[in-house]
Amino acid sequence: MELILNTVRKIDYDQTKEFTFGDIESLEEHLAIAFLSPKNIKALNIKKNTHIKISNKAGSIIVKGIEDENIPEGTVLLPVSIWANQITQVEETEIYYKNIKVNVEVTDKPITKYNDIISKIKGD
Amino acid sequence: MKRYTCSGCSLLCDDIIIRSDGLFIDEVIGVCLKGKERFDQVTSKNRITSPMMRKDSVLKKISWEEAIKAVVKMINDSSNPLLYGFSNSSCGAQSKGIELARTIDGFIDSNASICQGKVLGIANDFGINLTTITEIINKTDLIILWGANPAETIPRLLNKTLFSRGKFRMTGREIKTLVIIDPVKTASFNVMGVRDIALQIEPGKDIELIQALKEECCKADSIPSEGVAGIDQEDLKRILLHIMGTENGVIILGQGILKSDKENLLIQEILEFIQIINSRQEKGRMSLIMMGGHYNMAGFDHVALSLTGQIGGLQFKGHNVINGNNSIVTKIYNDDFDYSIIVGTDPIAHFPYTLSSKLAKKPIILVDNQMTATAELADLIIPTAITGIECEGLAFRLDQVPIHLEKVINPPSNLPSDEKLLEQIINKLNERGT
Repeated sequence: MELILNTVRKIDYDQTKEFTFGDIESLEEHLAIAFLSPKNIKALNIKKNTHIKISNKAGSIIVKGIEDENIPEGTVLLPVSIWANQITQVEETEIYYKNIKVNVEVTDKPITKYNDIISKIKGD
Repeated sequence: MKRYTCSGCSLLCDDIIIRSDGLFIDEVIGVCLKGKERFDQVTSKNRITSPMMRKDSVLKKISWEEAIKAVVKMINDSSNPLLYGFSNSSCGAQSKGIELARTIDGFIDSNASICQGKVLGIANDFGINLTTITEIINKTDLIILWGANPAETIPRLLNKTLFSRGKFRMTGREIKTLVIIDPVKTASFNVMGVRDIALQIEPGKDIELIQALKEECCKADSIPSEGVAGIDQEDLKRILLHIMGTENGVIILGQGILKSDKENLLIQEILEFIQIINSRQEKGRMSLIMMGGHYNMAGFDHVALSLTGQIGGLQFKGHNVINGNNSIVTKIYNDDFDYSIIVGTDPIAHFPYTLSSKLAKKPIILVDNQMTATAELADLIIPTAITGIECEGLAFRLDQVPIHLEKVINPPSNLPSDEKLLEQIINKLNERGT
């Protein structure tokens, strides 16, 4: 399903807080997540704790899909995080953190691990 | 008990009460959740209190002498340095950062250049009407949050601006109208009253809305009956009525605008819209505030302007600033650097993979006080004191007002401030005649 990705700062899903006070486990629990509208949740047949793969030409991530009635239909919302930034984009001289076309599908694979993202960035 | 200013976010609340003996903080009264986290950083388990260097892929503690020596060696072994961050540092540290960039002929930029700094850049051509928190408290009757969710990002902003009673208005919240324009029904929508206007715009259609509002200002009844960008005609007329009738209104721009696509055009349209309103308003005026997050995001451009006459990214050559037309994005994207010095920020986590992977391929010197994704990849980490708690400094509030931050307690392990550390590096480089 094609949706529009927006990244936002959310006080309960704060990357800086997790880096400062948490550990990798809490980082993954609070930030490897995506919020979707009830209609999109239903259309994708997402149940509690279902994982979704979000991909575009920049890359892909697997995170937990969560229903949020405040999200408009057609939008997938990710907290600002290292997960979100695997699919945010750079074009010409600009960084695009918002209104990015992505494909969203249900998957039975585990969420993208923090250490795997770090290894990928490092080029291992 | 003494009153201090909080450096938890760019609002720099100056009404925080702290009980401390100068060694430990016993009690902090009046901070929001973000402020509490800032004070809790002092003793957080992921605090870095000793310099560390990567040896055989593992970070190992080193002495301060070794750390400074390693920085100087890395600088001397390279020729195209990139300095980035500084929005979580005092103006003194920003000034030293620019001095270091000048000394080593590097490129320096702050987080502001991918956030609120863009507005000031565009304002060079179009002009800008800014206002202050004090003026909003005392005079404002209309607050428009556009792509801004202060309830979750600058938690006390609405307490201070929307729910306050001003000197020049005998009434408070009851005469203040709040308008929120956002595609998502954010936590800030929860403070809305019956007279307020919630506009849930379709994602990415802000530019259509602003152009329609501009058009309507110039030519009555130009709004199509089906509405614009998912907002119906009646709501658009209501908001225009408020905008044209306000005695003192403010548009608070959040990340939804500052980090959206088509941003330069969108910001330009908003600046022009404000000018149109003010040219037609007989009794009032409309102003702007940019809602940056880091406590001194507004500071870097003030410091850069005073030292070099320019804002944004500064490229030095022959120890003078040159017109390079570069930004932090183009420098990294084009691999136009051979190492980086990152101060108080986490670009490995905050930049898209395209940029973070390029940054990670070159040596990184990180100046920070907490473990981050950038720390995971840095070659050298030098910790510093937390400004506004463990050292003093000057910062610019989000409304561009300078505020002094005081020291409350001593830092652990006698950590230097960012400013002192950068000064030490510059002195070492000058000693060696670099």
